Amino acid sequence: MPKPEQLHFFVDASRCIGCQACVQACTECDTHRGDSMIHLEFVDRASSAQTVPVICMHCEQPTCAEVCPADAIKRTGDGVVQSARKPRCIACGNCVLACPFGVPEVYERRQIMMKCDMCYDRASVGKTPMCAAVCPSQALFFGTHEQIEQLRPRSSPINRFQFGRQTITTRVFTMVPAARAALQPWVDVAAAMDETPRPRLIPLSPVGAADPFAGVEV
Amino acid sequence: MATIPADELRIIERFGPHRSAVDAVRQSTSAEPERLVKTHCCFCGQQCGVQLKVRGNEVIGFEPWEEFPFNRGMLCPKGVKRYLQGAHPDRLLTALQRDPSSAHGFSPLAYGDAIARAAAGIGRIQQAYGPASIALLSGASLTTEKTYLMGKFARVCLRTPYIDYNGRLCMVSAGAANKKAFGIDRTTSPWSDMIGTGVIWVAGSNVAECSPITTNYLWQAREQGAKIIVQDPRITPVARTCDLYLPVRPGRDAALFAGVLHLLIERGWIDREFIEAHTVGFDEVAEYCRQWTPARTAAVTGVPERSLQQASELWGTAASSFMLHARGIEHHSNGVQNALGAINLVLATGRIGTPRSGYGTITGQANGQGGREHGQKCDQLPGWRDIANPEHRRHIAGIWGIDEADLPGAGVDAYELFRKIDAGEIKALLSICFNPKVSLPDSGLVSRALEKLEFYVAIDFFLNETARHADLVLPGSLQEEDEGTVTQVEGRVIRINKAIDPPGEARQDWRIVQDLAAALGRPHGFTFTGPRDIFDELRRASKGGVADYSGITYEKVETRMGVFWPCYSEDPRTGRPLDHGGTPRLFERGSYNPIARGQGPFYFPDGKARFNLAEHRPAVDDAGEEYPLFLTTGRVVSQFLSGTQTRRIDPLVRQYPEPRMEMHPRLAAKLGIADGDWAEAETRRGMIALRAMVVTTIRPDTIFIPYHWPGEKSVNRLTVAAQDPISRIPQYKVCGCRVRKAAGPPAYAAILEPQQ
Amino acid sequence: MPRASSDKSIAAAWGLLSAAILAGLVVVGSRSLARFDAALVGYTFATLFATFAITYRYAMWLRRPPTRLYWRRGWSVFLTPAYLRANIVEAVRRFTLAFAANRFIFRRGRLRGAAHWLIMWGCVLAAAITFPLVWGWIHFETLPGRLDLYRVYVFGFPVQTFPIESAYAFIVFHGLVWAAFLVIAGVMLAFRRRMVDHGAATLQMFAQDILPLVLLFAISVTGLMLTASYTWMKGYAYDFLAILHAITVIVALLYLPFGKLFHIFQRPAQIGVSFYKDAGAGGEQAICRRCARPYAPLMMVRDLIAVERDLGFSYEMPGAGEQGGGAAAGTGVSHYQQICPRCRRALYGLAQGRTWAGGAAVPE
Repeated sequence: MPKPEQLHFFVDASRCIGCQACVQACTECDTHRGDSMIHLEFVDRASSAQTVPVICMHCEQPTCAEVCPADAIKRTGDGVVQSARKPRCIACGNCVLACPFGVPEVYERRQIMMKCDMCYDRASVGKTPMCAAVCPSQALFFGTHEQIEQLRPRSSPINRFQFGRQTITTRVFTMVPAARAALQPWVDVAAAMDETPRPRLIPLSPVGAADPFAGVEV
Repeated sequence: MATIPADELRIIERFGPHRSAVDAVRQSTSAEPERLVKTHCCFCGQQCGVQLKVRGNEVIGFEPWEEFPFNRGMLCPKGVKRYLQGAHPDRLLTALQRDPSSAHGFSPLAYGDAIARAAAGIGRIQQAYGPASIALLSGASLTTEKTYLMGKFARVCLRTPYIDYNGRLCMVSAGAANKKAFGIDRTTSPWSDMIGTGVIWVAGSNVAECSPITTNYLWQAREQGAKIIVQDPRITPVARTCDLYLPVRPGRDAALFAGVLHLLIERGWIDREFIEAHTVGFDEVAEYCRQWTPARTAAVTGVPERSLQQASELWGTAASSFMLHARGIEHHSNGVQNALGAINLVLATGRIGTPRSGYGTITGQANGQGGREHGQKCDQLPGWRDIANPEHRRHIAGIWGIDEADLPGAGVDAYELFRKIDAGEIKALLSICFNPKVSLPDSGLVSRALEKLEFYVAIDFFLNETARHADLVLPGSLQEEDEGTVTQVEGRVIRINKAIDPPGEARQDWRIVQDLAAALGRPHGFTFTGPRDIFDELRRASKGGVADYSGITYEKVETRMGVFWPCYSEDPRTGRPLDHGGTPRLFERGSYNPIARGQGPFYFPDGKARFNLAEHRPAVDDAGEEYPLFLTTGRVVSQFLSGTQTRRIDPLVRQYPEPRMEMHPRLAAKLGIADGDWAEAETRRGMIALRAMVVTTIRPDTIFIPYHWPGEKSVNRLTVAAQDPISRIPQYKVCGCRVRKAAGPPAYAAILEPQQ
Repeated sequence: MPRASSDKSIAAAWGLLSAAILAGLVVVGSRSLARFDAALVGYTFATLFATFAITYRYAMWLRRPPTRLYWRRGWSVFLTPAYLRANIVEAVRRFTLAFAANRFIFRRGRLRGAAHWLIMWGCVLAAAITFPLVWGWIHFETLPGRLDLYRVYVFGFPVQTFPIESAYAFIVFHGLVWAAFLVIAGVMLAFRRRMVDHGAATLQMFAQDILPLVLLFAISVTGLMLTASYTWMKGYAYDFLAILHAITVIVALLYLPFGKLFHIFQRPAQIGVSFYKDAGAGGEQAICRRCARPYAPLMMVRDLIAVERDLGFSYEMPGAGEQGGGAAAGTGVSHYQQICPRCRRALYGLAQGRTWAGGAAVPE
């Protein structure tokens, strides 16, 4: 049984099938019953079935916490960035705008910001967070580095992200091809700005077309 | 007369579908469960293990069951929210009788009176028209014990040949193909065998939405080097990132398989040694495939030649492989041939019965496997026995304590039952776990037939759309209110544990059936004390059959977290008692089975598998000049089957509230339809108005509509009732249709809630 | 860290100043300590220290770049001459709903709202009674020759006279008893939640969440014991109880600036922020440079860019022009703040997906 501090979150959005099990399971958690803290969205449903599950990445130097005027967002000793402290949060929404991953949300009626806290009630005692426990594609995986290495030999976990000049290092890892991680151990998020989602992502396609229906007559 | 007794809106008002209410206990963040019950999800054939949190007589939530080997805690959204079906405002807490004088069409009735009335009604009809004037419709979401009991009830108590089940819409094409090719009808290997395989071919299965847990197996296999081929007219979530996508035109799967086999033979990518030693019939199949040149195959299937080459190379050169298929190739009037085409690819490469190679059909319903083995099919007796086989009949008649001559013969398939009702041959119906008004094709016929019934008794926990026709509704049980076993997708028999008691006057289904038998004055054979008791008889009944459960006990299932059948109580070689662990992997070289008796690994007397001619035949009501588009149907991840349960679970309704008509932007542009516009699809049988969903992930000559909704939102009013000549599965996956932009929203849009 | 140390000195200066002002008021209000009750000197020093520390901490808080910016923006929006009158009315309304009624807390949960409301009003009432008494700002005297009448003096000036045996007198003299009842009821509710609610149980910390409840409970109970002692028990153990009560109050006063209760002083910022948000919503909106949809007030986006720069973040896009936040879409992105949160999530997905676009192959 691994210790809680050896357990990490590994996200591989390319595995995601958009089933929303994570969203449904997230609403079952006691710290935010009824509200989902995970974002699961189609990148652009019209052109692709691609979906992306976004949990809080738990930055080492969280932009949300730094820009919070109320000093309401705290990072625990084990690196989990928690939801805003309720007595302090003034629901200004700075964190919502500041987060480079687009994670926090303000609940206006209740005057509070809430976000994924990695199911602190579960993870802090070594249990798997709800979303990762149920995720049928294991796009969300919670476990040790040894486990992920053994399960996913062609992938490598990395936790550096580039947003323009800003580098963000996170407690949550994302999976990239192992061969690539060796050369470029970060993901340049802002560089995907010109990327448009494609119906098909992968190598073998007829005559190199990204659209396999190119030849179908209407 | 089984006409609907009141305005359907008034029935809906009282009996739903309403969405699950927000309940104080479930919303509470301080409710402590009194116990956790390890059981399985009630929905699809994956049968994920889950722990239900129980407090009092209510299921208040769930906790992942990470030790269960198949899903390790994973669940799809249905599994997560399944617990909300309990303590539901629509739940039937008493029996109901048809009552046109009541505003809502039905009035409550004491359970005992209802049983007496049901028995009297059945007696009256059988007296007047003979025993075969009543039909039973059963379901594959029931536990194996219940399916066994239903088959026995039809034959022994009602003495009618007419029983069939909704697996007719699901597993029969695969089942028939398996029987023809292997002599046994089961997925060959546990899913864990996929990890480490070289290539996985997914034919006609939207794994992501219909069997979500299997996705992780695919991705894990890919991490270990597997290539993944997906054959589907839609770019499903799994197809999006698979290695090779085959955009097959609906209804052309057998041609595609033949074309690939042609290439395999041509390039020598087949296992001659295996074919020689372990199969018969290859030459005839090879001869047939000759005509399926890449050019012709491409022309017929719409899959580019280069993709066919790539598929052949991936499949042909792999060291190990896994073939998976599902309703996408099976829901056809050519469904058995399609499945046989897939099997031929497996047999030609000899990659079966080894640790990293296998073949499987992905079951759709909870007990899609167990429900097709123990006698609720019209031509079948327990243990996967044949009702026409004298030896089989004698064995089962012996177990049941009746004269073999009193055992009725084969009946007809579920759709044919409705034709017989329509023709006036069948006068009465008893249904359980089946909602044909939503799930059968060309459902206009179903509605018409239901209205002609003289007596209709439905057993259900909610008043489903079909049960609105019933004279009597008996309040049945939810899955969590009873115990038993089911057999999941891998052929693993697992335990359903009881979490709570049925509320009010609701009863466990087996009790209702036994009460009926007693009220009919024929209780002999229906005095079981519980599911365990039924299972013990089932074990004996199945003994010696292909689906041999004799060595399985509840305890063994519990301690081993599932047992793969066949599982023998006595060594089939020596007849000595045996503590058998079950058969996770079929067809291992040198394995012994009671049919082949050591002749070979397959379940035929010579131990050899059969190649079967898998011919391409054009679909009935194919797309053509008048109806130029293909209409294909299927599931969405948040709904299940006819939606009787899932359309009552609020978070699932919110996830995908109403059916939408998926179409390609090129088609939409031609028709002047934009995303979100109301559009009308029309076939030779009916018309449907739905909002369009314009996406590039579907073939431009095809539209897709999910089938979980009733009434005017039901796509099955459009589908064609053409059936496979062997399996009698309906052709849900293709029919010709045309589409136009609607002038405005349909009338129902302003009246009905999304789930209604 | 010269800046940090200068921040500290400035904050300390503010702290000293406010403590000095309070001390001055105590002297003035008690008529040069003539009305000051020497027995309460411990309380007085505790309040002076608390005043220093709260001001110090508040000033430090305002030194944080985002807080400072919001503080200035909030006031300048509020004090805009054209809207000042409307703003004052609106501020009163919002104050009433948020602070007098605790509406937003009731929305988080009824019992939760009730707990907070009871504790808050109990504390407000108790503070309104005890602080002026401690500081000698209020005292009571019988009228010369009329032993049945009391006269109230505030800052030494007579304000009101009432009969000792009246119901009014009973209510006034037992004000702290009523306050204690409110606080105890509220604390009970809060404790109950902290014991049974799984969510609360997970996140709570002793010093942050439990200690303040314990302190409030102790103050209320020891206070009630004092009343019981002199009312029914002829002053049994009164001195001991008085010391015990004093200790609980002083500890609470010393805790005030450090722990959870500091939110009492921080929280009114919510009103300021609401004016800032209103001004933003009424003003020009920032348009996402990726999806061309409005996503936030332009003022807020620009302010945030400035704050991030102050904090040392550099979400600027390399090669892009300076500054940003312009409203036009499709004009190129100079700062990641110009992308809406939804598009940020999509980009994260696209960027990760792109790494897999060639299968697991090495990037070119």
